[in-house]
Amino acid sequence: MDRKKILEEGFLEKYLLDELTDSERNTIESALQEDIELKKQFDLLEADFEHMAFENALEPHVRVKESLQRRLENKKVRRLHNIPFYAAASFALLFLLTSFFLYTKWQNAQRDLNSIQIETTVLKERLNVFEEKTEVANTKLNTINGPNIIPFVLTGNEKLPNSRAVAYINHAEKRVVVNSAGLPQLPKDQTYQMWSDVNGAMIDMGLLSPSEELVTLKYIDKAESLNITIEPAGGSEHPTVEKLISYVTL
Amino acid sequence: MDESLLIKRVRDQDQKALYLLYDKYSAALFGVILRICRNRSMAEDILQETFVKIWKNISSYDSSKGRFYTWAYRIAKNTSLNALRKNDILIQTDDLSVYKNTGSDESQPNYAQLNGALKKLEPHHQKAISLVYFRGYTHQEAHEEMGVPLGTFKSYIRQALQSLRKSYGQEFILTVLIIEWISNG
Repeated sequence: MDRKKILEEGFLEKYLLDELTDSERNTIESALQEDIELKKQFDLLEADFEHMAFENALEPHVRVKESLQRRLENKKVRRLHNIPFYAAASFALLFLLTSFFLYTKWQNAQRDLNSIQIETTVLKERLNVFEEKTEVANTKLNTINGPNIIPFVLTGNEKLPNSRAVAYINHAEKRVVVNSAGLPQLPKDQTYQMWSDVNGAMIDMGLLSPSEELVTLKYIDKAESLNITIEPAGGSEHPTVEKLISYVTL
Repeated sequence: MDESLLIKRVRDQDQKALYLLYDKYSAALFGVILRICRNRSMAEDILQETFVKIWKNISSYDSSKGRFYTWAYRIAKNTSLNALRKNDILIQTDDLSVYKNTGSDESQPNYAQLNGALKKLEPHHQKAISLVYFRGYTHQEAHEEMGVPLGTFKSYIRQALQSLRKSYGQEFILTVLIIEWISNG
C-alpha cells in the first residue's frame, strides 16, 4: 500500500483509533517503519490528537485515584497474603509427605511387630515344650539319681551275653525303675519280663521293652533277686526258667 | 520526569510511577471516556479500569509504534465501548434520568461540549472529529450517523485535521516566539 493511498483512505487515523484489521495494522506498521515521511505525518497526527485530548480534558474526581491506589495496593497486600498462603500450602504438602512417610513407617513397624509376635508365640511354644522336656528329664533323673536309689546292673548270661539292663530301686519310696535300652530287640511274638524272687517264689514285676529307656515296674517287698526272662508276647503268669537271660541278687 | 523513564518504572512495578502517569493523562482520558459513556460514575469506574489495564499490560506497550497517550486512549476507548455493550444501551445520567444511548444525543450538557481548537472548526468538521475521537464511533458508523457517504466523511476528517494542524502549528510558532521574546528580554 503506497503513501498516497494510506493518507487518502484515512488509514493513519484508523490506525491511531485502532479501527484496522490485523493485516491492515501490520501493513501500516511496516509502512511507518519504512517511510520516514509517512512516520512524520503520523507523529504530527498523534501530537495533534493528544493536543486535542488535553484541550478537552475533564478532571476526574480525586476518589478515582484513591480507589485506584487502594485497588493496586490491596493487590499488593493480597500478594503479601499470598506468601502465607504459599507457606501454608508448602506446610500442607510437607505435612502430607511426612504423614505418608510416617504412615509407611507405621505400617512397616506394624508388620515387624506382627512377625515379632508370631516369633514370640513360636518361641513360647518351644519354651513350653522345652520346659516339659526338662521336667520329664528331671523326673527321670530323680527316678535314677538320689540318696535312696540303689542301681543294679543286670548283665546277660550265656544266652544273651551282650544284653544289659539297669534297675534303680528306691526302698524308701518303694519304687523300681528299669533302663532296658541295653536289651537286644526280640521277635514280635516275644517280650522281656522281670520277676522278683521272694522266698523261692517268682513274682511278676512287669514287662520290659528295649525301645523304652526307663520303665517303672511293680515294687516287691522282701525281694531277694531280680530276674529277666523271655516270654511270649503279653507276658506269662509264671516265668519260663529255661529262658532266664539275666539276674542280680539284691 | 522523562516519560520513557516513567514508563520503564511502571514496567518495573513501580506504583508511584503509574500514579504520575495518572496525574498527567487521567483528565485527557476521562474527557474521552465520559463523552463516550456519558455517565460520571460509570466513567470513573472505566477510568480506574483503564489504569489497572495499563498497569497490567504495560509490557505490551511499544514506544516505537506510537505515543503512550495513543496506546492508553485505545485501552480507554475499548474499555468504555465494552462497558456500554455490557450495560446494553440504557445509560443512567447524573440527574438519574434514563435515556437511550443512540449516540445522536448531543443535547447533554458539558460532556458533549468540545473545547480548544475544535471549537473553531466548521460544525460538520467538529462533529466528524467528535464522533470518531470522542464518542468511539468507527469511520463506518460515523458516516452513517452523519448521513454522508464514507468518502465525504473521510474528507471531513482530513480537512478538520488540517485545520487543527494549522491551528496547533500557529500556537506552536506563537509559543516559540514568546519564549524567544522572553529569553531575549
